Amino acid sequence: MQGLIEFKSVTKTYGAGSSAVHAFGPVSLDIAEGEFISFLGPSGCGKSTLMLMIAGLLEASAGTIRLAGKEVHAPQTDIGIMFQDNTLVPWRTVRGNIELQLEMRGIPVEQHAEHISSLLQSVHLADFADRYPFELSGGMQQRAAFCQAMVHRPKIVLLDEPLGKLDAMTREHIRADLQKLWMQTRSTVIFVTHSIEEAVQLSTKVAVITPRPGKVETVIDIDLPFPRDLKVKGSSAFIRHVREIQEIFHGYGVI
Amino acid sequence: MAMASSDGKGAMTHLIGWVAQSWMFIAFFIGFFLFWEFSIGFFNVPLYILTPPSMIVTKAWADLPRLFAYTYVTGLETILGYMVAIVIALPLGLAIAFSSILRRTIYPFFVTIEMVPKIAFAPIFISWLGFGLLPKVIIVFLVCFFPIVLNAILAFNSLSEELQRFSRSTGAGVWRTFVKIRLPAALPQCFVGFKYAGLNATVGAAIAEFIGSDQGLGFYIQITTGNMRPELAFAGIFFLTAIGLVLFGIITLAERILIPWHISVRRIQA
Ligand SMILES: Nc1ncnc2c1ncn2[C@@H]1O[C@H](COP(=O)(O)OP(=O)(O)OP(=O)(O)O)[C@@H](O)[C@H]1O
Ligand SMILES: [Mg+2]
Repeated sequence: MQGLIEFKSVTKTYGAGSSAVHAFGPVSLDIAEGEFISFLGPSGCGKSTLMLMIAGLLEASAGTIRLAGKEVHAPQTDIGIMFQDNTLVPWRTVRGNIELQLEMRGIPVEQHAEHISSLLQSVHLADFADRYPFELSGGMQQRAAFCQAMVHRPKIVLLDEPLGKLDAMTREHIRADLQKLWMQTRSTVIFVTHSIEEAVQLSTKVAVITPRPGKVETVIDIDLPFPRDLKVKGSSAFIRHVREIQEIFHGYGVI
Repeated sequence: MAMASSDGKGAMTHLIGWVAQSWMFIAFFIGFFLFWEFSIGFFNVPLYILTPPSMIVTKAWADLPRLFAYTYVTGLETILGYMVAIVIALPLGLAIAFSSILRRTIYPFFVTIEMVPKIAFAPIFISWLGFGLLPKVIIVFLVCFFPIVLNAILAFNSLSEELQRFSRSTGAGVWRTFVKIRLPAALPQCFVGFKYAGLNATVGAAIAEFIGSDQGLGFYIQITTGNMRPELAFAGIFFLTAIGLVLFGIITLAERILIPWHISVRRIQA
């Protein structure tokens, strides 16, 4: 089966000459439709860069990226992106920020009022719809940004450390919600994270990325049943996957 | 947004709260004027050098029509110069921010000119254009123009990379991106320029009048000082300050209306 997203020997070098930074590559990777794939790797290995290249927001230095068979050379507008730094604007409320995504696309906002409410409900922010970002905690801002990235019902979703600013407890909670949401929509998700456990819990596949210059060391199939609740997380298969990945990073001296 | 409540009771508690917070400042202020008032007699300061505040008030009262007329003249110069500066500097700043050609030509030119004290041009303009309104408006304009244009360039150039990427990922056109993201994001930095220019506008008007004028508060301050009437000069300074305060008040009000969400506004309201 042909992948929905295809990387062919993609490399990225920032700058030129002696100050050039070889961020990562060459990377070849196939991502099938409906996959929930995690990009797992240490800081600076090029996870965000990879993600931005799928979105057509950064050009590869060499190699090609195909999305549904077409080479990516311009910003892709039919995907949902949650950037590493949230893109909430300070002059709009939480609801207004979510509407911004629609307004920028010329989609009438009124028809989506209920959808926005249910999105906010699903991340437990319903009571904060009319608050401004500065009135929210870092974790709440991230959840609002998540709604902003999802409101136009994208088929492909790119999430750059979406749970990075959450405390361990809320994180666990939102992970479960995220999984539920994905099980309903079965959209294709690229999920960037540092957390091995998180990657194994949420993903159908984990792309293990080495330290800079990043390469996809291996793509691990996580064939555990969904939803992955506490019971699954306690299972020996789950723990084996976690151990396997830990050992790879241990080999690279990352942990 | 936490706005001050508009009913009378709210205003009263507001006032009481303000007094409770600022009584030290108020006491110092009153103490300062009392010291001024009584030290003149105490130290035998001649009245042609410095007069007590009470005398400033009574003498200024007698000369009020002239003070008002001159306040109008200087106020007009200030407001006109300031408005023209905004009207020209803002679109120009925008153009420079988005045109790489302008950024490589006009921008460094402006940065260089910014180093020149604009007031130094005043005698030249007055020798060219005479004693009327125009040279003063031009000098106020010059004083205000550079902070506004330079801050506008900075404002329109400093949209975060993340928001630029967000905008591009939505496929929105240039105009929609400008209205919904670039413009509101740029306003706070623009206001930094507006405020700085507002603070300097009356300085420009007064100095222009010192150099060559037959009316206005700058002229008034110079003439009365020459006539050994310091109390009237002080009255002139007071009215000049009032123009500056009104201008600054208008800018601050505009800021509150246009960017109530910004940290600089929220801090004042907190
Ligand atoms: N604009 C840039 N200019 C120069 N180098 C850059 C730029 N952006 C990223 N890099 C380099 O590319 C490498 C990969 O960056 P990237 O942001 O993709 O890492 P990451 O895996 O997302 O890290 P983190 O987990 O910390 O977010 C880094 O080593 C960084 O130094
Ligand atoms: Mg990153």
